[in-house]
Amino acid sequence: MRHAKRCSWLLVVLLFALVVSVAYAQDVPVIGAQNCAEPGNLTMWVWDENWARVIGSAIDVWSEKYCPGATVDLQVQPWQQYWDLLKTNVAGGNMPDVFNVSQDRFFFYASNDALLDLQTYFDEAGVDTSVWGSGMIDPYRWGDNGDLYAAPVNWDTIVIFYNKDIFDAAGISYPSEKWDWYGFAAAAAALTNAEQDIYGAAVYSEYQSGYPNWIASTGIPPIVGPGRTQCTLTETSSLDALNFLKDLYDNGYMPSVSIMGGASADDAFNFWLAGKLAMVSAGSWKLPTALEEATFNWDVVRLPRNPETGRTRSIVHSVGYVASANTPNPDLAANLIVYLSSDEGQRFFAEAGGVAPANPAVQQIWVDSFGDTEVNIQAFIDATEDSQGVTVFDEIWDKINTELVVNVFDLGVSVEQAAQDACDFINTQLSAVR
Amino acid sequence: MRKVSLPDLPEVSRNIMTIALNWLGRTPLTRRRALWGLALVAPNVLGLLFFFGIPVLNAFITSFQEWNAIKPPVPIGFANFERLANDSAFWQALTNTLKLLIFAVPVGVASALFVALLLNQQLRGRGIFRTIYFLPVVTSTVAAAMVWTWIFQPRYGLAGNLLSPLGLRDLNWLTRPDLVLIPIGIVMVWQRIGFDMVLFLAGLQNIPRQLYEAAIIDGANRWQRFRFVTLPMLSPTTFFIVLLSVINAFQVFDQVYVMTARTTRGGVGGSAVTLTYFMYDRGFLKSEFGYASAIAMVLFLIILGMTILQLRLQRRWVYYESEGGV
Repeated sequence: MRHAKRCSWLLVVLLFALVVSVAYAQDVPVIGAQNCAEPGNLTMWVWDENWARVIGSAIDVWSEKYCPGATVDLQVQPWQQYWDLLKTNVAGGNMPDVFNVSQDRFFFYASNDALLDLQTYFDEAGVDTSVWGSGMIDPYRWGDNGDLYAAPVNWDTIVIFYNKDIFDAAGISYPSEKWDWYGFAAAAAALTNAEQDIYGAAVYSEYQSGYPNWIASTGIPPIVGPGRTQCTLTETSSLDALNFLKDLYDNGYMPSVSIMGGASADDAFNFWLAGKLAMVSAGSWKLPTALEEATFNWDVVRLPRNPETGRTRSIVHSVGYVASANTPNPDLAANLIVYLSSDEGQRFFAEAGGVAPANPAVQQIWVDSFGDTEVNIQAFIDATEDSQGVTVFDEIWDKINTELVVNVFDLGVSVEQAAQDACDFINTQLSAVR
Repeated sequence: MRKVSLPDLPEVSRNIMTIALNWLGRTPLTRRRALWGLALVAPNVLGLLFFFGIPVLNAFITSFQEWNAIKPPVPIGFANFERLANDSAFWQALTNTLKLLIFAVPVGVASALFVALLLNQQLRGRGIFRTIYFLPVVTSTVAAAMVWTWIFQPRYGLAGNLLSPLGLRDLNWLTRPDLVLIPIGIVMVWQRIGFDMVLFLAGLQNIPRQLYEAAIIDGANRWQRFRFVTLPMLSPTTFFIVLLSVINAFQVFDQVYVMTARTTRGGVGGSAVTLTYFMYDRGFLKSEFGYASAIAMVLFLIILGMTILQLRLQRRWVYYESEGGV
């Protein structure tokens, strides 16, 4: 009897030791997945085929391991129609339960009470939201308490992609981490070769990849100030940054919008891929394309530092998972979102490569996913350090932002005039929003 | 049979109206025929009613509301229409649309007639040419407009290369507010020629040969035969084509959407915005669906007005053979 008792004690101690060692052997996850309370059916929209594949595999595991019996109807609505379709579905009362939003479009849905407040669900699930960089989630806060309405899927930062062959041909050394605007301007001038139709750089494109990075490095938020009350384009440092770029354009070191065929970052990047540009500013989402399609030697480097502030600041953007305020299954929708943001759910993104996962636990997997490459991928991660979230939050402003680029870098309108026109429009919109 | 007098509508609609009116008459024979006719057009009419009529009715109601598609609509009476009258962007869109119309309708109809006359000759490989001219009609506007975007790209584009002897290689066709409507108008015309050409060809083949023979005997030369036989005999077709082209010009959207998508949507300062694009912009980009519906109603009234005006004017220049000559 006594012997048996001792044995059972021993057993308890052993079991405890086993549990503890297992817990320590497996790292505590940064964000853990949870079992769902009750399975059900959800519809989910994404705009990217590749993402759909990755998210689809994650959802399969979720519905097997954490929520048996749950089904998700995952639909890809191509980017070109995504927002129009979403709006028509909202109008028809057919909003998807879970869907992707970008930081600039979040505002419309949040301000119309169309989104589910995820803060309580994050709190209940013990998600430490501070693991996400502030630039990734601040644009997704809403309401008086600054509740979080979205979980970030990924992050993108902007760096300079440069064509090593053009540098070699011009006999210039490759840029380093410490270079500043002057160094950049000198390189752009030296790399331009009008006879061979080669331009030094194109870095002014609309929004995330373009001119706002240069404004951000002067220390002010580009286009719209904090609190969404004031247009910042007419402030001195904005004008300085734009004039710096305009000078490069006027000197013929940068091609016009029309010559590249468009004002978007894609147009500039394709021009770079065609070997006509020595340097282009582009986001981390372009890495896979560059690795696959570039027919020349290339590398990436952080954006040059502003000589006055000494800062290099990238615009960061995170796509978010949000849920509809009217979903019949809010618990389930939130549970799925927590899973997709967890270490386990984000691993699918990290391993697929291409998209940098928002969850820092799986960052290294993303870097490793590019395999044996000489490319300085660390530059993208370094660029998250001092980064600026997206400040434009409506597609109408998106148009104004493009119009500014076309006015200055195609039609020869002065920076002051173009910035004033843009601000007049933006300030009217801002007061209408308030 | 009871004789009913009708306004001068084109043949098809006149027949439909005759049937409808006679249906109200007492003769069992006509009634039965009318029923048959109605049964045969029913699938189309019902389709129109459900997929067109109901949305149109909805748009009509929405035009008197303020609605952003998320929050419930608020009735605001005529406020949308009042705002429209004072909206400079609306007048700009209307002006742009009229400019495109003034360019695309005459140029389009004239080119279609020219091509139809050419391809009405005994020409080797005529079928191939007819197919080639018709191809733009069946090409997706979006794909075609994208190709045209490349054509109008400065420096590397085809247009720039063709115009470079004139020193016009580096024109920013698609961003300059004073130029942007030209490429859009050209694409409109290019895409419509094939369709109008087929209608003209049908019209040309309906002209009785003996009229030309008589004209030749009377000593009419080529130009006189064209001027005094072909043109008048073709006038019902021409009328129909002009009617459709005007409506088409009022509805131009895809070309604007695609050709300005990569630079500034709708052109710098709204220089390429047409009425339908303006409607899309206010509805889908700015989420002002009430206002967008009001624009739709005004557009409807404009097109209706233009059509009625043309129906009236046709008496002066359209010649229907069955009614006897002037």
